[in-house]
Amino acid sequence: MIDASRIITEALVQSGADVFIGYPITPSNLFYSYSKERFPEFLAGPDEISVLQWMCGYSAAGKIPVTATAFPGLALMTETLNMAYMMELPMVLIITQRLGPSTGSATTGAQGDLKFIDGIISGGFPLPIFSPSNFDDAWTLSNEAVKTAIKFRTPVIILTSKELVMTQKSFNINSLETLEKVDTTPKAFEPPYQPYKAGEDMVPPFFPLGNNEYQVRFNSSTHDNDGLIRKGTPESLANTWRLREKLENRIDEYTFFELDAEEGATNLIVTWGVTADASRDAVYSIRNKGEKISLLIVKTLLPISKKIYDIIDSYDTVTFAEENMTGLYKEMIFGKRNNPKVKTATKFAAMLTPSEIEEIVK
Amino acid sequence: METTEKILTTAKMPFCPGCGHGVCVRSISKSLKELGYKPKDVALVSDIGCSGLVDPLFATHTIHGLHGRAPALGVGVTLGLDNPYKKVIVIQGDGGATIGLQHILEAARRNIDMTLVVINNLLYGMTGGQMSGLSTNEFKDYKHNDDNTEPYDVVNLAHQSGAAFSVRVNDISNFTDVLKEAISVQGFSLVELSSLCTSYGMKKVAEFKDFIAAEEKLMNKRPVGVSLKRETNSLLENIKGLDTQFTSTINDSIGVVIAGSAGGGIQSAARMLAKAGMLSGLHATMKGEYPITVGTGFSVAEVILSKKPINFTGLEKPSVVIAVTDDGWNKVKNRITENSKVFVDSKISTERNFETKEFLKIGGKKGAALCTVSHWIKESGIFPIEALLKVVEDSKYAASLQNAIKSADDL
Repeated sequence: MIDASRIITEALVQSGADVFIGYPITPSNLFYSYSKERFPEFLAGPDEISVLQWMCGYSAAGKIPVTATAFPGLALMTETLNMAYMMELPMVLIITQRLGPSTGSATTGAQGDLKFIDGIISGGFPLPIFSPSNFDDAWTLSNEAVKTAIKFRTPVIILTSKELVMTQKSFNINSLETLEKVDTTPKAFEPPYQPYKAGEDMVPPFFPLGNNEYQVRFNSSTHDNDGLIRKGTPESLANTWRLREKLENRIDEYTFFELDAEEGATNLIVTWGVTADASRDAVYSIRNKGEKISLLIVKTLLPISKKIYDIIDSYDTVTFAEENMTGLYKEMIFGKRNNPKVKTATKFAAMLTPSEIEEIVK
Repeated sequence: METTEKILTTAKMPFCPGCGHGVCVRSISKSLKELGYKPKDVALVSDIGCSGLVDPLFATHTIHGLHGRAPALGVGVTLGLDNPYKKVIVIQGDGGATIGLQHILEAARRNIDMTLVVINNLLYGMTGGQMSGLSTNEFKDYKHNDDNTEPYDVVNLAHQSGAAFSVRVNDISNFTDVLKEAISVQGFSLVELSSLCTSYGMKKVAEFKDFIAAEEKLMNKRPVGVSLKRETNSLLENIKGLDTQFTSTINDSIGVVIAGSAGGGIQSAARMLAKAGMLSGLHATMKGEYPITVGTGFSVAEVILSKKPINFTGLEKPSVVIAVTDDGWNKVKNRITENSKVFVDSKISTERNFETKEFLKIGGKKGAALCTVSHWIKESGIFPIEALLKVVEDSKYAASLQNAIKSADDL
């Protein structure tokens, strides 16, 4: 018996994450306890703002930090998450969704934080959000989260849910391939070194504070290539704009999804995270009854790749299956207006079941 | 030995004419230089406000963060660098020290090896001269501000929290010497430098002296705070595989709900049932539900046993419902369907005629759930009871668990 908290924690450490800095919160507590056992370095922060500030300090010093929290903690971390984003600091945040609003019900799962996270970077800048749908994803996406954080110099969120990370399940751990530590060696650059001067890949080479070769400046405010505050100059604004471009223009390098397409199907179920397994069962049941149906499990929730839009556009009817009130991912794609092509299978304060999804698909 | 490399990039300061911040910056630079620090040996962490304008003045590494959070950022940089030859200097104003006071106390409590310079000009200089938590009452009177709340004594607070060195300096001529002493300290040092704001405070240092708190210097002898590194083992290393040793009669899947009260062994009974299923060649899931106060109220566990791999881990229609206390029964009674097999303790009053037995009396408070599970396993024959006995044989509570399992024979 094993749970996804254990799998994610182990995968992050194998991928090269150096330090876990946490503040306990349900339902992310298993990450805290597993990390205390497994990470080479573990720190108990006095509050969530300190946690993310410490993580930024570690990241600026060249380490890969990780934390795990839930909505209340993420809300407190929001200003610092923007700082980490602006400074271009690699790190991983695990967010375990629970029922809100506010403190809500700490021990009830949910998929209710997607829209908050979509707008979490002021200005509508993209932030990579990975959402594992099962234990295999928990392993591989955690590895991809570290890779993406380093490759793009950005915080990455692993968005999960209480039932996914706390439920124990029989699982063959031998199916998990050993992961390699992600290489953090600074890439080659054209001198002179400027901390925010990027090449064609739009990601500046990373050198840590304290290094003896190059002076490094990190800056949370609008800054030029040297990392110094510059208000409204073409260079500083281009530098800020680049934060969007590096993630949007190379989106397919970190877009992950699972498409179970049935030939001839005109109906598609779109789902993510904890509702994916219920959707898999619903698809199995629908097909057993002789109906054709396809299934799209989105694993990189944000930013949304054109590939996702293209798949959705190729079906006549699309049912979004999500554990929230109105279908938050559906609203990302189609907005809040009713659309004759779109159905939503949603559930509030409990897991959506395969039969409930099947009922809506009909 | 004094370094020849320049710590500052320029002699020109960006502050208002007469502002004390320029003196503070030059004093920091002079201190580092005289102590022999080279620019790349220093990471300067700056806050928001007038003190946040310092980055371009320094040829050191710099990191410019959020209002009030620079001490916390400095803690991360210091522990992340983990290098006694690198010096972390944090600069913030009295506004930053007010909004981020917790971060100062935490850095002091941990005695992190860094120096925090609080440049106190008694007000918020960038937003119109509002009062801060470090504004003295004398200054507030002078500004016709009717708030007479006593200011924070950040020097004393840092000291009480465990800072190795904390000091308030009002005399400009002493700034460099005191900073050198602070920077040389092993552990957390805080230096509050009084600084004139000519735009919103007063124009002359002579007038300023009547409004600032008295100098003080406090020390603690404590070990320097570090973050321990350790070798660890894989979290997957000690996961024991459960090879099939028994046979199950289950051909599809079955869902079991076990309900009782906190401390009644509900979750462990469910886990043992799931493992016994795995020993019998089944796939299994197990999840628990309980109030956030885990030591009181209901405790409910769900187990799914299935011949096929399990995707959805929710239980729509439980095949078996077990309840050993009223707490548990009240939580699960509405989940019973007409096809559910129900086992309830005889002390629970139900509205329907379910099978009741003295599970609590026979199995005991901690063993009732396992006793009931054992009863169901034997009655249903889903797999041999030996599978359950096998699960508990290596437990440090093996004897009492075996007793609970065997007590089902006495029902």
